[in-house]
Amino acid sequence: MKQILLIAAGEWRYWLRSRLALGSAFIFLLLFFVTSVLSSWHIEAQSHSREHHQSEAEDTFLAQPDRHPHRMVHYGHYLFRTAAPLASFDPGLDMVTGQSIFLEGHRQNTVMFAESAASADFGGLSWLSPALIYQLFAPLIIILLAYGSIAREREAAVLAPLMALGVSGHQLIAGKALALLSFILLMLVPLLISSSLALNRGESLNALLLLAGFYFIYLSLWLALSLLASTVFKKRASVLLTLFGLWFGLNLVLPSLAVNAIGSESTAAGKIESDLIMMADLRKLGNGHNASDPAFTKLKADLLAEHGVDNIEELPVNFRGIVAMYSEKKLTKVLNDYANKRMMAELQQEQALVRFGWLSPALAIAAASRAIAGTDLIHYHLFQTQAEAVRFNFVQGLNRAHAEALSYQADINRNKDEDSWKKARVDASNWQVLDEYEFQTAALSERYSNAAQAMRMLLAWLILAIAILFWRGGSIKP
Amino acid sequence: MSIVNALLRETKFISKDRSVCFWMAIVISLSALSLGFGLAEVNRQQATIDKLLIVDQEDRAAQIEKQKGWGGAAYYSFHLSYDAPSDFAFAAIGLRDVQAWKHRIRMLALEGQIYERDVGNPSIALVGRFDFAFFCAFIVPLILIILLYDLRSSERNAGRFNLLEASTGQANNLWLLRASLRAGALYLCLIVPLIAAAIIAGTSTGTLILACLFVLAYILFWTALCFVVSAWQKPDAVLLMTLLGIWISTAVIIPAGARLAIDKAVTLPAGSDILMLQREAVNDAWDLPREATMNAFFERHPEWADYQAVEQSFEWQWYYAFQQVGDQKAEALSKAYRDGRLKRDKLASWAALLAPPALLERALQNLANTDIKASIRYEDSVRDYHAELRAFYYPKFFENQAFDKASLEGLPEYKAAK
Amino acid sequence: MKLQANSLYIERSGKQVLQGISFSVDQGQVYALLGGNGAGKSTTLLSFLGFLLPASGQALIDAKEVGADIGAARKNIAYLPESASLYEHLNAHENIEYFLQLAGSAATQAHIDGALDQVALAPDARLRKLRDYSKGMRQKVAIALAILRDTDILLLDEPTSGLDPNAIDEFHQLVRQLADKGKTILMVTHDVYGACQVADKIGLLHSGCLVGEFSAEDGNSIDTEVVHKAFSASAKSPSKISQTEPA
Repeated sequence: MKQILLIAAGEWRYWLRSRLALGSAFIFLLLFFVTSVLSSWHIEAQSHSREHHQSEAEDTFLAQPDRHPHRMVHYGHYLFRTAAPLASFDPGLDMVTGQSIFLEGHRQNTVMFAESAASADFGGLSWLSPALIYQLFAPLIIILLAYGSIAREREAAVLAPLMALGVSGHQLIAGKALALLSFILLMLVPLLISSSLALNRGESLNALLLLAGFYFIYLSLWLALSLLASTVFKKRASVLLTLFGLWFGLNLVLPSLAVNAIGSESTAAGKIESDLIMMADLRKLGNGHNASDPAFTKLKADLLAEHGVDNIEELPVNFRGIVAMYSEKKLTKVLNDYANKRMMAELQQEQALVRFGWLSPALAIAAASRAIAGTDLIHYHLFQTQAEAVRFNFVQGLNRAHAEALSYQADINRNKDEDSWKKARVDASNWQVLDEYEFQTAALSERYSNAAQAMRMLLAWLILAIAILFWRGGSIKP
Repeated sequence: MSIVNALLRETKFISKDRSVCFWMAIVISLSALSLGFGLAEVNRQQATIDKLLIVDQEDRAAQIEKQKGWGGAAYYSFHLSYDAPSDFAFAAIGLRDVQAWKHRIRMLALEGQIYERDVGNPSIALVGRFDFAFFCAFIVPLILIILLYDLRSSERNAGRFNLLEASTGQANNLWLLRASLRAGALYLCLIVPLIAAAIIAGTSTGTLILACLFVLAYILFWTALCFVVSAWQKPDAVLLMTLLGIWISTAVIIPAGARLAIDKAVTLPAGSDILMLQREAVNDAWDLPREATMNAFFERHPEWADYQAVEQSFEWQWYYAFQQVGDQKAEALSKAYRDGRLKRDKLASWAALLAPPALLERALQNLANTDIKASIRYEDSVRDYHAELRAFYYPKFFENQAFDKASLEGLPEYKAAK
Repeated sequence: MKLQANSLYIERSGKQVLQGISFSVDQGQVYALLGGNGAGKSTTLLSFLGFLLPASGQALIDAKEVGADIGAARKNIAYLPESASLYEHLNAHENIEYFLQLAGSAATQAHIDGALDQVALAPDARLRKLRDYSKGMRQKVAIALAILRDTDILLLDEPTSGLDPNAIDEFHQLVRQLADKGKTILMVTHDVYGACQVADKIGLLHSGCLVGEFSAEDGNSIDTEVVHKAFSASAKSPSKISQTEPA
């Protein structure tokens, strides 16, 4: 044990005397802090503007004067998605997805205005985030510190005398690994500091620790890979080159290739395409604006029978409002079926992408990190689902007002003259149908289970790398 | 000729260098792979458009079939607009994963429709496709660095440096020759698959030649850089890290900084403000005196100014007039949003001079019509098309022409942006 | 062709490595520079190749300064570096061929085989890659390359390191033959016995100074014992040793 500690201490002394190691670690820290600060500012400003827009949208909706309720159905409402607390660390999909959605009757609109669509375009890597720095650049620092750990001793011909002193290969590797592990723990401190800002925004400490834990596994994997290369190859130059190739192969090439593969293999139909197919289905449902559409004859008959009257004029409720409610419900069911199908297809595509994490740990850590931060596809879908619930509730609330607060006579005569135009209105108090909305990330346990598969991949990678390292470590020769 | 001899000598030499051959194999396969996927994606997008054109037609026909007046026909019939991938899009898919390239629009206020985004899976946009432009701009420099960083230091470490320099009269020529041969071989491995793909896709010769020249200039830039750095008498690790540092600066840090600075410098109106403004305008119109709407409308369409609105009854003329007035109200904001994006792009094209990887990617996307400019051109063409639809319907409304389904055959068709 | 050093001063990273040495090697002569580690032997060779330019003084080839036209100077020189490192992934033939082409000359396979015969490299090894060679075999290939260059001047840096005693003797005979054919040979070594056996003149180098010079006369070789004594003395005391004539 003492020998292991001595070796670890020796490694630290070597780093402290190496300008390359110190310089790179310093640049890493600097880059991370600058990115963290900028990212926090950005998210803070965005959250402010979105909260402002959200309350403005609610206020204008509620401030609408008395009018025909169906006009409010088309007037619609806006939802803005506030960023997840950990989005300042890992913005995930937030940059490429829209953040606001317009809700109205009879339609499910898309989420609009993605930041990346309006930003100055410099390619994907320009979306630098604190998380990306850990995923992409932290492994480089580890490679830089670790590549020479064994190969350096071998090149300087220190390995033979060292082993002649009775130090085993396993002890040597354990010592080097100990030094590197302590360095990785140090590296995680900035992550914890920067993400602790999320605590103020309502994130739990456990989420932070979980996130740090994932990155610990990921960086330990690079440690194991680096030590392995340093053990296997004779020359430092070949170790460095191998690791460098591995770094950009696993981090830059494979993830993008995986995207190509899933993009060409399973394609989720676009919204226009699925909408068009849906349109054909919808034609069978009837037009909710037209109460005399034959699709509603059964509804009419049932309703007349229920109230024991002969024609719709005698109904205690406004038949047009009933039709609107009925058809909105039917329509929403179809809309949701198609929306769910599309989301399911997207999710399957995403899962296929994450499965490539078996080949590229960078994909696995990115997926796990997004899942914990609440900036993954599941949360994007969650926003859409929640927005749809808000939409359905307020539209049906308005339709209920249409059915119950507005007489059928006033309604059908609305276009007769100015007076009847004015009569066909309900009181503005009926607009209190909006749910107060704020986007919330899912519970941590749920986020954790979303990240579980990616974590299993990282662990499998790590265990495999350690096993090979252990096996090769036993046969280190000078 | 001694140059020819030297070339033959080094070519024979390089062909026996297994690591060089390994990297060339990597480059040619990645190049082919990126292009193959690119071709498949372009075909998929084209197929989507072809399919949509048919279903769009059917849907419109079915809707029109049910209609009894111009107003309803205009209200219920949607029209497909699309930005078909160019003949070079396979090499640079660019922003097509983020920007909408297809819409279904109708006669209602356009501002409410044009920002709809029917784009695919955001995960794809986030990670980004491995297209030829990405490969060339971001990965190839890393491979070049591997091939060239230890051009001299490897010979020095192996103890051959002095012998090599002593054997040749002009030693610099040897290093230059070796560097250019490796870079040249890499260039060929990149470009041969590109040419093959271009032939398959029927890319115009001009575009292809420009693309080849851009890539050539880019390779020359990195080769020169690696050549200069590799001449330093420093340990290999320092050379490699220096070059990697340059890569990180130009591929990640400068672009990230420039993007933040530009986005900060050129502020855009919030997209939702455009939509809200348009919505307020359209909805308020129901309660406004009709003259207010019609007068605002006649400012743009004086030709219908003698039209007398029928009071107190729903009229399609008025309905579509306030839709258009909604667009007019949001016009300034919408234009600011459009011009702001163009201005950001213009600034980005200057800033990219400091970030060669972004510069090449942008140049290829520009050739492929998959950049922001192309996306805004498409948006403009959708606006033009929407204007054509209005121009088609307005006479029908304002001249009170009798409804005639047959004349709907003459509906304008979307023509792609030039 | 004549090699000449005229009060040659060389600096390497701020340190005076050669402190004004002068000697000359005539055509057909073998001159051995003898000295301990760090005496400046290899530096002297590198200055004739133009890798290091004098701070003052001159390195002359045929009375022309090396620095004036390094390319021309190198054309006349075959150089055998200290640890003969050639390309590991090529075989003996390919290595020789490549370096000869690099130098702008060419040789037929028969010529190369002839040279490899001269250095006694086993024929069955010649088509194997160098990564399988022993140190001595690599040295032989490097020597063969130097011979094939067929230049007027040969600069040999520790040419016998790594060779077995038998091969060393053969190599010394080879060097003699080359000198007798009119080559100018400057070799650097710390092998006193070998130097005395083969050289016409020996220069004793210590800390960048030429502290003694010995010449062979009338076909006799230089007396090993005398040189050995001077060598040991120079290692112990840095003062200059007066030129001692052989007995």
